[in-house]
Amino acid sequence: MWRLNRVRYKHVGQSSKSSEELRLKRREQEKALRQARRDKQLVSKRLLLNEDDEVTMETTSGEQDVVSLLYKLQQSGSERETHLKDLSKALRDPSAQLTFIKQENSMHLLVSLLTGSNTQCRLHAVRCLHELSHSVHTNVAPACLPATPYLLTYLSGQSTKFTELCLYTLGNLIPDSDVVKEKLLAQGIIPALASCMENQRHNLAVVEAVGFTLSQLLQAKDAAEKIIPTVLTSCLPSQLLSVLTPDPKFGLAPAIECAWCLHYLACSKDSRGLLAQGALLQCSSLLSSLGGAEGSKEGMELLVCPLLRCVGNLLSFCPVDSLSSQVGDVRLVVALCAFLQAYLHTQPALARESAWVLNNLTAHSGEFCSALLTFNLVPGLMQLLLFSQGINTMILRILANVAHKKKELCVQLVHLGLLSTLCSTLKMADQEMVTLSLEVLFMLVVSGPQVVDEFVRLNGVPLLEAIQYNSDGEMRQRAVYLLERHLLSDSSSACTVDNVSSS
Amino acid sequence: MISLTETTEEQSELPFKFVPQLFHLHKDHDLFEDGDVHRHMYLQDLYCVSEAEDKSTPSISQFACHISGCSAVFSVLEEYEHHYNSLHRHVCCSCRRSLPSARLLDVHIQEWHDSLFTILAQTQDMYQCLVEGCGQKFRTNKDRKDHLVMIHKYPPDFRFDKTKKDRRTHETKKPQQIETAMEVVDDTCGSERVHDGLSDQQERGESMETHVSEEEAAQNYAAAAAAGGDAGLSAALHSNKHANSEMPKPQYSYSVRTACAKTGIRVLCCFRLEQSTEHSNSKIWFSGSF
Repeated sequence: MWRLNRVRYKHVGQSSKSSEELRLKRREQEKALRQARRDKQLVSKRLLLNEDDEVTMETTSGEQDVVSLLYKLQQSGSERETHLKDLSKALRDPSAQLTFIKQENSMHLLVSLLTGSNTQCRLHAVRCLHELSHSVHTNVAPACLPATPYLLTYLSGQSTKFTELCLYTLGNLIPDSDVVKEKLLAQGIIPALASCMENQRHNLAVVEAVGFTLSQLLQAKDAAEKIIPTVLTSCLPSQLLSVLTPDPKFGLAPAIECAWCLHYLACSKDSRGLLAQGALLQCSSLLSSLGGAEGSKEGMELLVCPLLRCVGNLLSFCPVDSLSSQVGDVRLVVALCAFLQAYLHTQPALARESAWVLNNLTAHSGEFCSALLTFNLVPGLMQLLLFSQGINTMILRILANVAHKKKELCVQLVHLGLLSTLCSTLKMADQEMVTLSLEVLFMLVVSGPQVVDEFVRLNGVPLLEAIQYNSDGEMRQRAVYLLERHLLSDSSSACTVDNVSSS
Repeated sequence: MISLTETTEEQSELPFKFVPQLFHLHKDHDLFEDGDVHRHMYLQDLYCVSEAEDKSTPSISQFACHISGCSAVFSVLEEYEHHYNSLHRHVCCSCRRSLPSARLLDVHIQEWHDSLFTILAQTQDMYQCLVEGCGQKFRTNKDRKDHLVMIHKYPPDFRFDKTKKDRRTHETKKPQQIETAMEVVDDTCGSERVHDGLSDQQERGESMETHVSEEEAAQNYAAAAAAGGDAGLSAALHSNKHANSEMPKPQYSYSVRTACAKTGIRVLCCFRLEQSTEHSNSKIWFSGSF
């Protein structure tokens, strides 16, 4: 039902390789992307193909073509359309792109064709610009500056294909050069995007393109100061929210783009205002619905990921007393736990993010903590405590949130076997896990005298004794405290008994 | 029942600091790395559904021995428990040897670190048979050993019955330490080592043990008597030892006897040498607030 439209964006040059080659290539590229992410240089561009485009590996002598085509174009004539079309194909070649921008007046010519009276020429001209924007050479983008005011103007036009091309061209140009970005901001790209989205909101292909272009702006390094405040005051957030639910026929893609935009916005500390626009409600409702069978459909994690992040960050702004109205259904916890289990082995990072959201949800809310118990989610969570890479610490934090709320919840946790699980986690190599385990143990112990008995019965005391000799001071202090004040004094002195009985 | 909302005075004593926390993450946070890469793979049309093999599945969290200086790490809980029960449960605080059972530890302490024993052994049968329930005692270590071999069919080179005297033939600080090596708090590799309980190996600084003269022993005893009780005796032993040894000062050492006498729970004795370098290689994703 939710189709992922992958046909629209083909990576050029991919056609003839074997699947093994493809897999290797993909892995290499993933490594490159990961490194780029670590360098905070992760950018992507998109190339919109014509339906009748052939994806070929051929790169004919593009350079020579460019020069000769330009020459031909300078002569007026009825063949201009053909020449322009040929030029757009030639410009797919990276070296041809460089050649083009080196030719004198080439951009001037292209812009005149872009704004001329011949609409077919306009279309081909924008395609030329689109190819140029997709260049791997970063010096090509600044050369396209003369065209940008026109591209922006055309965003309020009505021709779908044309608008799409303009949008993706702009989106591709943004990350390459700060100069380009500054110019675009000065030329009013944000209002232009807002009105485009407004006017074309029923045209999902355009919506997707707007989303992409906006996400490119929002990922810029200085977005927090220069871009996000403007976006937040525009009508873009509410429009993004309105497109969030995937359309059955069109597919996930527009929702994906808009969700990522919302994520970048929610990362900003100034985005508290999104709450008032119902962002948390919308995102969490959608997540809840995706937590069921729909969530396991192909490609759904591309949407779940930014939604999780939105909810996680928006929760950190949300005051506790309005949490239930902002989140709506308390069964969000069920969806989150479903994501945890579903993604644990396939996309562990996503499982980790789900755990983070669950922590933010349960941190200050007794209602959501109780929900974990009501819906019987705790046993599943306890099983996950065995996994590393940050998942178990976050889950232990969630259980600690529950224990922190009320004694009655502690009792229930003990009843579900948390003490036994703690006996395992106290032995773990991860210092944070052990320290958190001690914290949880303390909360359980002070919730009732029978907890101590149970812990002793489970042979937990030697574990604490061992921790007394650990090199980490934080752990030692906690272990010693538990032993001296609660565990070791039960048989001998009466003082502990007094402590226990006094309230 | 002790409530969680204690007085501020008590609260300042509490080492427990957990409070539920909200985490707001900026867009470049580490937690978001994988998802971002995935997103851009999709944008660049490198997205593929069946990529499970390339994903790093979460590993099972490792278990690590907590004893400072023991860097043994295990992936299976049972292995950890076996290690711990074998090496760390019955450790002599004086010489750091690990004994396989509480009883053997008792016997070891008595025979090796108890000056009173040394005195009494001169005139009485003090060396107990190591077999539980036998009850017989002998004047010398050798007699006991003969008994073990002949009556109980023990091997003549039973590990846990080496004599102190055999030690004299060795220098201190010899590489035999690896052979007998009971130093569970040694700071080198985390591999399990073989443990000799009543072995003859005693490393640096403890040679005085063998030279505890009657006079010294009497002094110790007097000091202990003055200090009062079992604790005093152990303390005296400890201080005596440390005055002479090159061993680093113990930071957490409990006398097994003391603990036994009081609470009936076996407490470990360990010396804390150097900080164990690392206990885990898992990242800490969230520390404090940010």
